[in-house]
Amino acid sequence: MTGLLIQGLINGLILGAIYGLIGVGLNVVFGVLRVVNFAHGEFLVLGAYFAFFLLEYAGVNPLVALPLAFAAFFLAGYLLYFVLIPRLSKADDPEISSLLLMFGVSIMLGALMLLAFDADARSLPYEIEPVFLKFGPVLIPTVRLVALVIALAIIAALTVFLYRTQLGRALRAIIMNRDAVRIVGINAERLSAVAFGLGVGLAAASGVLVAMVFPAFSPFMGNDYTLIGFIVIVLGGLGHPVGALVGALLFGVTEQVSVVFFNPSIATICGFALMVAMIFFRPSGLFGRQALR
Amino acid sequence: MLKVTNLKKRFGGLVALQGVDMHVPRGSILGIIGMNGSGKTTMLNCINGIYTPDEGSIELDGKEIGGRQIHEVARLGVGRTFQVPRIFRQLTLLDNLEVAQQQTGRGAEERYAQSEYWLHKVELHRLRHNYAEELSGGQQKLVELARIMVARPKVVLLDEPFAGVNPALAQLLISVIRELPTEHDCSVVLVSHDLTSIYQLSHHIIVMNEGAILSQGNADHVRADPRVVEAYLGA
Repeated sequence: MTGLLIQGLINGLILGAIYGLIGVGLNVVFGVLRVVNFAHGEFLVLGAYFAFFLLEYAGVNPLVALPLAFAAFFLAGYLLYFVLIPRLSKADDPEISSLLLMFGVSIMLGALMLLAFDADARSLPYEIEPVFLKFGPVLIPTVRLVALVIALAIIAALTVFLYRTQLGRALRAIIMNRDAVRIVGINAERLSAVAFGLGVGLAAASGVLVAMVFPAFSPFMGNDYTLIGFIVIVLGGLGHPVGALVGALLFGVTEQVSVVFFNPSIATICGFALMVAMIFFRPSGLFGRQALR
Repeated sequence: MLKVTNLKKRFGGLVALQGVDMHVPRGSILGIIGMNGSGKTTMLNCINGIYTPDEGSIELDGKEIGGRQIHEVARLGVGRTFQVPRIFRQLTLLDNLEVAQQQTGRGAEERYAQSEYWLHKVELHRLRHNYAEELSGGQQKLVELARIMVARPKVVLLDEPFAGVNPALAQLLISVIRELPTEHDCSVVLVSHDLTSIYQLSHHIIVMNEGAILSQGNADHVRADPRVVEAYLGA
């Protein structure tokens, strides 16, 4: 039983780190733009397909595909921002309009993926030798450990970017006061486009990790990952990548440890119960307003 | 030099500015007074790009800036503070000033030196690593002033800088504002209900009423103008 518990804990940490990465991308977009990006999960699945096709047709290692996916989707997101988002400011209620718009984009991207890639689930034929690492009674797939390290490294890099660079400080500043950013001479539209690009790029990078770690992905899975991203934001609080990571680890560990004791359906309920409890007792998340600091 | 000519702004049927002319030479302080709703803040909002004027022109050193976006006007050299400070509350004071220098192209050392200088100037240096939200309202106004000054603007628009500020901080603000034209080579447009401060600081004063200029001149002239006494002072 102890072995299973440790196994569940480690699985939870690994999945939590990947969930954290999913959450931080969504967090940046929502924080800066107040746009509820319902298509985040679809961008993630597109990232998974990106890695899949690069490996399948060009033999590109997913570890190389990951930065490529980030760069390509960052650029796509940066350009897509100017097509989609500035128009929202003319709406009576930009936040609701953004929700509906991105919901539409989500459905559209899902349908396009279905057309382009078929409904069949794919899996990334990628393994790292040795396939498993054994620590006493605990068996961990090596690829999962690598994914854990990469997810943590990306979140750490994002934290350094947000807290130690001029552009990062400006991104944090725009979350706090959009008008004031303009008043000090910063082009808020361009900065917002960077935030959107960053969110989409992080979604795609998460997608590569998801493809490496999970057995399969398909065009239908976007919504599941968007939902995970929202749970992470609710748990960790808006604004800080570390908040998102802590929230995600909590969610991942709760879910995976619950599997040890209950059947998987109840484990899912446990994860969601945690989110409901957080909204009930601490609506601003674990880190609350402090998260922006 | 800031030159405003025949500036007009309407909001539906409400005429907020009805052809205002204004001239702020380099190195001078222009005070603007007027009742609530007289158009003072609307004029500042037109100058710094928050509103697009319906008619008229706004020139900074001969270059038209009316109708430009807020960040463009700021980059051209117009700094602005607000009655309720618009600072970055969850950033430290140093980071507030750092963000304001993003567009200056300065190196890290020069940016840091500028921030240090201005935090010393507004006597908040010891709080430089504190978060802005931990400061009093008056101190936040000082941070906002320091934040626009690090960008070395040509014109500074100050909207009610003394509102809600305790007397000690108000004195500090007055002494800092007084030095801006001489020590930092910029012009100041000062909007305030605090007549004493306006009279103390301004080289030229404009009295606004219902979107138009009612009277203008130096402090003595404005104080003696019967139209001002009647419309503004109510006596």
